[in-house]
Amino acid sequence: MIEAKHIEKSFFLTKAKEGRFASLRTLFSREQREVKAVHDISFSIDRGEFVGYIGPNGAGKSTTIKMLAGILHPSQGEIRIGGYSPQRERIQVASQIGVVFGQRTQLWWDLPVRDSFEILQAMYKINDKAYRRSMEAYQELLDLHEFLDTPVRKLSLGQRMRADLAAALLHDPPVLFLDEPTIGLDVVAKTRIRAFLKEVNQTQKKTILLTTHDMDDIEQLCNRIIVINHGKKMMDTSLVDLRRQIGLPSLIRIEFRQPPEKLYDLEGIKRMELAENVLSIYFDKGKISSPRILAEVAGWGEPLDIQMKEPGIEEIIRLIYR
Amino acid sequence: MFALYRKLIAASIRSQMQYKINFVTSAATTGMIMVLDFIILSAILYRFHDVVGWNIYEVGMLYGISSASVSLYRLFAPEINDFEKYIVQGELDQLLIRPVSPLLLLLTRNLDLSRVGGVVQGMSVLVVSLSGLAAEGKSIMGLVLFSPIAILSGGVIYFSIGLATAGVAFWTHQMKDMLTFTIYAPANASNYPIGLYPNWLKWLFFSAIPIAYMNYLPMLTLLGKGGAWFYPILTPVAAAIAFYFARMLWNVGIRHYHSTGS
Repeated sequence: MIEAKHIEKSFFLTKAKEGRFASLRTLFSREQREVKAVHDISFSIDRGEFVGYIGPNGAGKSTTIKMLAGILHPSQGEIRIGGYSPQRERIQVASQIGVVFGQRTQLWWDLPVRDSFEILQAMYKINDKAYRRSMEAYQELLDLHEFLDTPVRKLSLGQRMRADLAAALLHDPPVLFLDEPTIGLDVVAKTRIRAFLKEVNQTQKKTILLTTHDMDDIEQLCNRIIVINHGKKMMDTSLVDLRRQIGLPSLIRIEFRQPPEKLYDLEGIKRMELAENVLSIYFDKGKISSPRILAEVAGWGEPLDIQMKEPGIEEIIRLIYR
Repeated sequence: MFALYRKLIAASIRSQMQYKINFVTSAATTGMIMVLDFIILSAILYRFHDVVGWNIYEVGMLYGISSASVSLYRLFAPEINDFEKYIVQGELDQLLIRPVSPLLLLLTRNLDLSRVGGVVQGMSVLVVSLSGLAAEGKSIMGLVLFSPIAILSGGVIYFSIGLATAGVAFWTHQMKDMLTFTIYAPANASNYPIGLYPNWLKWLFFSAIPIAYMNYLPMLTLLGKGGAWFYPILTPVAAAIAFYFARMLWNVGIRHYHSTGS
């Protein structure tokens, strides 16, 4: 469904001039610096896969998605979406894909949500029957009716994201590109978006490529993970394999009134560190739940404060390198 | 295609109407600036009577066509003139994921209705000039018939220059400075007979920034100033050629679009 062969993207950054006629002098300047945002990346994604595309900031995630979506032209290499090239056959590819950028809405800012949907219907030439069918399905799954007549600028972030998702799916594209769809959302909104994405992936067999910084997104949604760093592919593996290789450790940090006298080992706990009266427990969420740990640890002393930390993407990169 | 254009334009007008006060004040300001502009020009002309052999009504023809044309461009293509933000802030992204030409989407994102004032002002100057010429006993039939062609062609020429500038901005990431050279200064220059200017500037206005074809060249013929019979035909032809090359440059530019990191 999605095919990328040895794609590269280099940017030539011209050093911007300052002062009088800056733009003209910049145009004719020869001082250029080549930056390789994406370097020889290949992958192939089948229909119905849910792939997490992860890496630290500036790794080239967005650049890759933008090349797949036909926004940017790769400097080298070939891309196929459903058999079409996003560069040479952009229009065909556009009707095959739905794109959501978490940071920026695709909706008409000052108009009611409904108006955006109607404009998109005309733009994608969706016939009335299919349009009604999509609207009914997504209204139910995303509760759109709550804010269908509200101007987009007045929506909460969570509502806006729901509207954006429905808008991206309106023309029933087989492929979805989601760039940080849960960024900035609260837990409730995140859970809701995830449930929706899972549903769409499983019942409609949509192929989804998702970038995120949230490891919960990855754990709950993706069955495959591609890790990139500095524009290069570092790893392409299933979630199960990733967990086996590096374990995706979650962290609980507990501050006790008195340092506990004895630490007991539990199934699923990978490592414990005690510094004065603060105990750090690294554990595998797949094997033991945090409430189990807390229940257990409460017997070791009197907890004053509890902090939970999910492994960040940087942590994972570090573990892969190790 | 046309149905979609109408729908998108209607949407952007509805969006603008959300900010009614802003709309009214900006229309009023634009109108006032343009009136002031013309008063200054008339004052100069009354003082000197003619400019290199062109009397006030003849210059009025040049001025009216240029003014209406540039306003027409600013009315329909404000997002081209303001294209820098699409490149610098990566806003072009959202236009490139749609199964429609990004140019169509750009042109429908916004209409600068406050420029209607400029179009009306330009046409009023034309009407005054035409009646002045008629009073001098000149035949104005050809001029009346040609004026709409000149205004439309002029609009296309300005649009093409704007589009080409936007195309170059894919490399420079900067457009506002360039517009001074490619649109604003030439628009002022074309209010007067091009014959006034030094040769290199004349060359420029007949080639890279082809504003001479919009009013000066056809007026040489239609006002009986020694132009060849086919000069007026060159007006729409030049507009078409300019548009063709501007599109080409724009299409090459889009391939160099960098977007922004998210």
